[in-house]
Amino acid sequence: MDIDLEQHQVDLADTARRFFEARSTITAVRGWEASEVGFSPEVWAEMARLGWLRLGHPESIGGVGGGVLELSVIYQAMGRTLAPVPHLESAVIGAGVLAGADTPAARDLLEPVLSGTSIVTPALAEDDAGFGPESIAMPATVEADGGLRLAGSKILVGYANSASHVIVAARTAPGSGESSGITLALVETAAPGVTLTKLPNLAGYPLYAVTFDSVRVGPEAVLGRMNAGWELLEPVVERAAVLRAAQIQGAAERLLELSVGYAERRSQFGQVIGRYQAVQYLCSDIAINSHLTSLMVRYAAGLLDAGLPVGKAVSEAKAQANLTARLAPERAHAVHAGIAFILDFDVQLFTRRCRHWELDLGDERYHRERIADVLAA
Amino acid sequence: MELQLTAAQNEWREEVREFLDTELPAEWERSTEWCEDEDFWEFATGFTRKVSAKGWIGLTWPEEYGGLARPPIDQLIFSEEFTYHDAPLVNTIGWGLAAGALLRGGTEAQKQKFLPPIQRTEVLWAEGYTEPEAGSDLASLTTRAVRDGDEWVLTGQKTFTTWGSHADMLFTATRTDPDAPRHRGITIFGVPIHQPGVSFGPLLNIGGGRQNHTFLDGARVPHENMIGSEGRGWDLIMGGFYGGNIGAAYMDAQQKLDKMVAWCKTARRNGRLLIVDPVGRDQLAEMDLLVQAERLLTYEALSNIQSKRPPAFAGAIGQVQSKEAVTRFAELTNLIAGRVGQLAVGSAWAPIDVASGGPEAWFRTSIRNHGGGTPQVKRMVLATRGLGLPR
Repeated sequence: MDIDLEQHQVDLADTARRFFEARSTITAVRGWEASEVGFSPEVWAEMARLGWLRLGHPESIGGVGGGVLELSVIYQAMGRTLAPVPHLESAVIGAGVLAGADTPAARDLLEPVLSGTSIVTPALAEDDAGFGPESIAMPATVEADGGLRLAGSKILVGYANSASHVIVAARTAPGSGESSGITLALVETAAPGVTLTKLPNLAGYPLYAVTFDSVRVGPEAVLGRMNAGWELLEPVVERAAVLRAAQIQGAAERLLELSVGYAERRSQFGQVIGRYQAVQYLCSDIAINSHLTSLMVRYAAGLLDAGLPVGKAVSEAKAQANLTARLAPERAHAVHAGIAFILDFDVQLFTRRCRHWELDLGDERYHRERIADVLAA
Repeated sequence: MELQLTAAQNEWREEVREFLDTELPAEWERSTEWCEDEDFWEFATGFTRKVSAKGWIGLTWPEEYGGLARPPIDQLIFSEEFTYHDAPLVNTIGWGLAAGALLRGGTEAQKQKFLPPIQRTEVLWAEGYTEPEAGSDLASLTTRAVRDGDEWVLTGQKTFTTWGSHADMLFTATRTDPDAPRHRGITIFGVPIHQPGVSFGPLLNIGGGRQNHTFLDGARVPHENMIGSEGRGWDLIMGGFYGGNIGAAYMDAQQKLDKMVAWCKTARRNGRLLIVDPVGRDQLAEMDLLVQAERLLTYEALSNIQSKRPPAFAGAIGQVQSKEAVTRFAELTNLIAGRVGQLAVGSAWAPIDVASGGPEAWFRTSIRNHGGGTPQVKRMVLATRGLGLPR
């Protein structure tokens, strides 16, 4: 029994941290948020050159091996620096589904995705706003040739403006609330009848609504088996949820540094505020929740990589991370008080980004419900 | 990273379970030392001696002092099973605190003299740290020890001495140099209890148990019972319980959670089973998160011990988390149980057993929350030593 990272993972964490601190400075992050694409094509290209888009995928499909643990240390570094890149959407979920689908169309797209020249993003959420299969209701009619006709809207689709394709989860058979009856389809964002609508949001994240106006795709666009889309999707989004949790942990770790640093410098009532126990409590809350998140991420990632039964571990990691995503910014604001509210200060960037990461890939309610499912089984 | 136990470790777990199945009565649910029940004490002492006979007290100690020199993971597996099954071990101060200090700071002669009787559960130790005016601020302790030839003479009062009236030795922190800086004038002694200079007064607690005031009035201690060196007792105190005795408190919570889940499958609230009630389910999930946090902090502590690395954040996160979690955990059991949760065990209407959510859960929670230092003190350690904020 040993929960430590391996040395090569520690080294990778160090490399990733130095890379993102150099390339994704907070000034650059502010600029990318204001840009039309909402991310950094340069950092994205450099990550591709480093092979980080192929990480976590087997060599047989063009990956470089490694697992969720290796990815998690990169995500922690991205969280620390708020580096905006469509890695989770495209290199983890997009490539993961394409690899699992193993159809000719999916195989053709895999290499462009792993090399970063194409971006493929999942389109899952609807106005139900839940995350599980129960929340997927958008209908797709199965046509005689095995193709699909899609009608409806998907929302909160990340980086859709930069994506060549979206992976749409649609209901092809009745039985809302069931994981069966969902089919995944690969749809070009430029296809006739597909409309993107930008969704301005608190996080400053490139989020879009994707509307399908009776969009027809051929049978080659169906990913995996008809009505078995959730089976294909679930293991991929489990990995992704752990990585989102790692990203939150990185942000919390940085918020801790910012808060402790401010508490050591800021003086009120004749002494630095870090001497007041009330302020010390606020800082230690961040430390505790960041540390618990890192342990739960490491444990879930380790189980996934070892192929061991995961049980509740993924949901425990994301549920804890979601708590941290609310608590760490709240405590950091309390330490900084009024100044954290001001745009010139960096805290608000973390606060806003955490709002998206918290609600992405299962909010706290969703993951606690999954934990309860396992307990009650 | 290795998250699986080896075949040998799984066999060890089975061996421990079989022992517990054999030696504990069915439906046994009394684990703690916090009650003053002579029948319980007699059973627990006899049980602990059987554990000693297996060699499992002192499992990780070097062989020359009666130990089996087993690795820390074996101790953790042992602790997990003993805790989950409420196994009633006595002499935790002996094999935990005193043995740890002796192994770290004792002379060879002291190790030879004191450790084997602890291993055999022949000599029982109680803790003599806390004083009426030295609780969280332990370094302000005033119990005096004055040299008198080959002996030291102790005068002062200790308090919260659990099972003191059953013990043979008091692991006592004293002030030997009142002029030294306060952390440098403290010395530890193993004080024989059965002598005229040591007496006890009962300190009855809300759980129906007893701690003690311990009065030291000219108590005499041979110089050879000084543990560690003169004036350096604080180092031993900060060393805490012996690292090799890694505990598994989360298995106590896990057991309560398992029982609560089982109860929720049969109990109704507002006309439906609690296990399908969204609020109840959410509360069960929160309990699970608290258990899992403590489990992973323990795995991390094990990894630290195995790689001989100091813990992150001065080790304070695990202490704060476990102390603060117990109160929330007990609160959740009571929120789920609802108004029947106030009923004492024994009533047919009491929701679940003593260990799971009944009144005693609160008493135990209170003790775990403050015993060994309040969470507020641990938070101070976290902020100053862990995060580097100013004192």
